[in-house]
Amino acid sequence: MRELLNGRIEPGKGPVFWIVGALLVIGMLFLPGLVGRYTLLNFNSFLLMVFLATGLALLWGFCGVLSLGQSAFFGIGGYAYGIVAINLADSPWASLAGVAGGIVAAVVFAALLGWLTFYGHLRGVYVSIVTLVVTLVIESFLNQTAGPQWKIGTAHLGGNNGLGRFSGAAENIPSLTIPTGGGNSLVISGSSPTFYYVLIGLIVFTYLLLRALVNSRFGVALAAVREDPDRAETLGYDIRLLQSMTFCIGAALAAMSGLLYVAWGNFITPSVFGVTANVLPVIWVAVAGRKSLAAAILGAVVLQWGAQQLAISGGEWALIVQGALLVLVVLLLPEGLLSLRQQFSRMRDVRSNSLKSQSRQG
Amino acid sequence: MLLSVEKLFKKFGGVVACDNVDWSIGSGETQCIIGPNGAGKSTFFQLLTGRHAADHGRIIFKGGDISRLPPFARANRGIAMKPQTLGVFPELTVEHNMRLTLQRHMSGAALRDAIEARLADLDLAHTLNRQARELSHGQRQWLGLGMAIGSNPDLLLLDEPTAGMSTAETQRTVDLIHRIGATGTAVLVVEHDMAFVRQLAVPTTVFHQGRIFASGTLSDIETNLDVQRLYLGKQGVAKLRN
Repeated sequence: MRELLNGRIEPGKGPVFWIVGALLVIGMLFLPGLVGRYTLLNFNSFLLMVFLATGLALLWGFCGVLSLGQSAFFGIGGYAYGIVAINLADSPWASLAGVAGGIVAAVVFAALLGWLTFYGHLRGVYVSIVTLVVTLVIESFLNQTAGPQWKIGTAHLGGNNGLGRFSGAAENIPSLTIPTGGGNSLVISGSSPTFYYVLIGLIVFTYLLLRALVNSRFGVALAAVREDPDRAETLGYDIRLLQSMTFCIGAALAAMSGLLYVAWGNFITPSVFGVTANVLPVIWVAVAGRKSLAAAILGAVVLQWGAQQLAISGGEWALIVQGALLVLVVLLLPEGLLSLRQQFSRMRDVRSNSLKSQSRQG
Repeated sequence: MLLSVEKLFKKFGGVVACDNVDWSIGSGETQCIIGPNGAGKSTFFQLLTGRHAADHGRIIFKGGDISRLPPFARANRGIAMKPQTLGVFPELTVEHNMRLTLQRHMSGAALRDAIEARLADLDLAHTLNRQARELSHGQRQWLGLGMAIGSNPDLLLLDEPTAGMSTAETQRTVDLIHRIGATGTAVLVVEHDMAFVRQLAVPTTVFHQGRIFASGTLSDIETNLDVQRLYLGKQGVAKLRN
């Protein structure tokens, strides 16, 4: 167990890493007491994206598959949550059924798309293109569902107004609701401290689970698939199965973010399937370092917060700055900010080696 | 026969790279395939590993036709290979490289012990936590070989195992191949370095233009004037006589 949590595939390890991480989590627990409800509402919206980001890191950084369509699963998870929850609105279980529905819908779709993609022997940039095209097709499709005929049960899809309060339907998408017995329910609104604590708990749990996964034999196999799929296959690994499974895990995580997003704001529109929504997670993960789950989490939260600060002070500048950040990182630090440390130690090695060879020649 | 190939045929565009080849190898046997660049020996190798699918013909391994199976399924039936490109994962640690082969067959403490034992066998125990790209070329060759035999395969396919090795390392490789053969694993070595083939001294098949041009013991091949003239050329003949 210790080996699974502190293994060598995930770069974050050692006492300093764990102590800093624990202090960070403990410190975070005090936030709701320090800030107002509006700040907390914003912060919740950053935190709920962490699942999408770690799923992308797992898929891209650990398995070598760059999906530019993770938002397809985010959106499917969100829409499915809304559709299920609206249809079961009278039941106290509506929200939890929506959670299950969101994750199942995304995983089933990912299994189908993954099967077509990976068993169709697509690789590299072609996988990125296919995933991007799929999400954009879904966006276009949903944008034309404004008419009254586009409904599933009692849920109107609502075209580009989306599902929820703007679609003109009587029903709203319920918040996260947990039945507490005796006909009572705990309703967790998106701006509540409870929502925040639920997110922190889920993030810690998901992080530890994914850490154990990437440090397990499955994770070692994924690293081999990332580095050299052909060689991995001749060692007996079914690379298409491994890629498809990872794709499904990434989709489940994206769906988790999507359904939490809908539970947080009680609405969802087709724009969640768009180009911007798909590129932003790539920027968070690329800038922070795609080969670390911890970096993906920090990247997602810090960059979203930073983008919002920029947006408050200067409109659409936020997107341009983030795009520039991506270009800079890709050019200067292809492995993200995380690689700065390795770069320094490599430079030190090179210098000491050249000193050695000089002294040998001398 | 452990593996037999019947009328194996593969064409790339208009070029016939493997032209109705019949060939076989028995359990525990060591054989060599030689030929100049473009003779079709690499294609033949890839047809055996499953990297390329044959246009027609059959590959019978342990009694079953494997010619339609993907590479991983062939590996899991007992065919291991080491590609010419070393077959190690440079960005992963030496320990993880070895783990990749062994974790399919064992786990827990047995796996840890086996990794250390195999690496000690290869003189790589001290490199356990280093990235494979930090190793010397020769060390990486050894690691690649160690990974290929780590699964105790029935058949081991080696593509130019001594490329870039020093004379001493080449001799060690020859010894290692004989040692592997002695454990009951059949070994096929695909090679173009005649000096190495001579050191190995095992039954040899000469490929030329996608076909088997000659086969027999090493001395049959060496004394075969057609082989000398058509495949080795004047330089090759001169090399042989030295």
